[in-house]
Amino acid sequence: MRLAVYVGYLVSFSLFSWLVASLESRRHVVAAVVASVVLLNLAVPMPAQAQGSLITAVQAVLNVIHSVIQSALNDIHDLRAAVRNFYQSVTWPVELIAQARSEVLEMVNQYRHLMASILNINLKSATLPGPQALESLIRDHRVDNFSSLGQAFTNAYGAIPAAADASPEDRAMADMDDALVLDNLKTLKASDGATDLELQAADAMENAASQAAPGSAPFLTAAAAASSIRSQALTQKMLAAELRQEAAKMAHGNELRKRGATFTLQLRGVLINLLQHN
Amino acid sequence: MRGRILSILKRSAAWTKRHKLRTAALVLVLVTTTPDVSKGQFLDPCCAMLAAGLTTISNTLSGVVGGGLHSIFSVEQSISNFEQQVVWPQGLISQARALVGGLQGTFNQMQALTQIRVNSATLPGAQQLEQDLLSRNPNQIVQTTAAYNALYGTVPGETDASPEVRDLVDMTDAAAQTAMKRAIEIDSLADLELQAAGQISESVQNAAPGSAPIIEAQADAWLIRANAYTQAATADLMRLRAVDLADSSAELKIGATNTANLRQGLINLLQHN
Repeated sequence: MRLAVYVGYLVSFSLFSWLVASLESRRHVVAAVVASVVLLNLAVPMPAQAQGSLITAVQAVLNVIHSVIQSALNDIHDLRAAVRNFYQSVTWPVELIAQARSEVLEMVNQYRHLMASILNINLKSATLPGPQALESLIRDHRVDNFSSLGQAFTNAYGAIPAAADASPEDRAMADMDDALVLDNLKTLKASDGATDLELQAADAMENAASQAAPGSAPFLTAAAAASSIRSQALTQKMLAAELRQEAAKMAHGNELRKRGATFTLQLRGVLINLLQHN
Repeated sequence: MRGRILSILKRSAAWTKRHKLRTAALVLVLVTTTPDVSKGQFLDPCCAMLAAGLTTISNTLSGVVGGGLHSIFSVEQSISNFEQQVVWPQGLISQARALVGGLQGTFNQMQALTQIRVNSATLPGAQQLEQDLLSRNPNQIVQTTAAYNALYGTVPGETDASPEVRDLVDMTDAAAQTAMKRAIEIDSLADLELQAAGQISESVQNAAPGSAPIIEAQADAWLIRANAYTQAATADLMRLRAVDLADSSAELKIGATNTANLRQGLINLLQHN
């Protein structure tokens, strides 16, 4: 297309040049120039630009922005806003978090001192000096005075008979019984101390819960679960001590039964001998 | 050829000198009618339209896309602030970790209390059995029977007691020994539980909010296990007391039988006299 325009122009310009060269008067030359300019501009137009396609392209881009992109951005915005609203109104509503904290504090105020005062009621009931000393020692939650406990126990319940005063079996029984009683009393003093520590830990965790956030509470619940394991372990140790004591009590009774059988056998022999002599 | 071209040029130059007006007219026509003119960038309507289009696109991008992205950023920022200030505040997380660390010291004191030596027996036989019972060592269980028999004696021989009494003695000894052995087991298990609880507490101190629930789940599993051990110990205590009750009942029964036998013996004796 562009080549045809140039060839046409070249031919037209050649004709015009021949015409200008052949004309005689100046007026004719001027007329020919004007006519040529008009004719050449009409005959050889400027190539048209694709203005329509540019507008269409711009409009297409605008359409994409207004439809696809804007719609996608609106969807993302709506989704994230919904997530935010869900977090704030359903999962972690600030009002309910604050309410939970204040409820923890209310329960602390309602129960902590009341329960502590109940647990700390003075239960001592002995009236005489010896039992009073023993009672005081077995309830003092201390583990640094076991020797005093042993002494107070001996004062209240007596010492193991001397070898000349009782049979070896009786002395052994009494020693084992006393030992298990003292073991358990010592274990209970330690358990009382551990219980005090457990209660301190529970108070500390409850205090922390009254200030906790949803993200920090799992640390407290995990710590509380670990404390519960320890609490169970302490309970088990007390049960083990109770098992030992009960078992020893039964074994003692059984030992008496064994000796009773022996005594009965011996008595039967004595009676037979007695009857035979008569 | 060259001479001819030079001749044409000479003639053209001569014509141009003679006809200056015509030459100027030809130049004017050539300049004004040459078809492929260069485009003016400021005056070209196409460029103006292109610029207007691009400006519109730019404005639209700023308004629609930029505005939309800014709106999304605002929502994301509010979510981020909410999570950092309400859900997972760093300060409270550090505070909770510090509390767990502080509690560890308390629990170490508790563990130390459970390991205080409480042995109290004074005579050799009682000391040996007591040492086994308080050992917290399952390997000591096998030695318990010997120490028990040394202290409490064995089942009487066939000639030394009636079969009923021998059964009773054996059953009671068995229950007592089993309970003592179970007590050693429970002590040992409790020690291991305390050890595991310490490890769990250490894990909690180093946990993140997202990993703490995993540790909590493990701790809960351990708690279930600990409850099971407590139940096992309680069950043994109940068994021991049941055997004790049965033992008392058997005493009554044997006493009644002995009384009846004695009465019959006295009747026979009186009849013979």
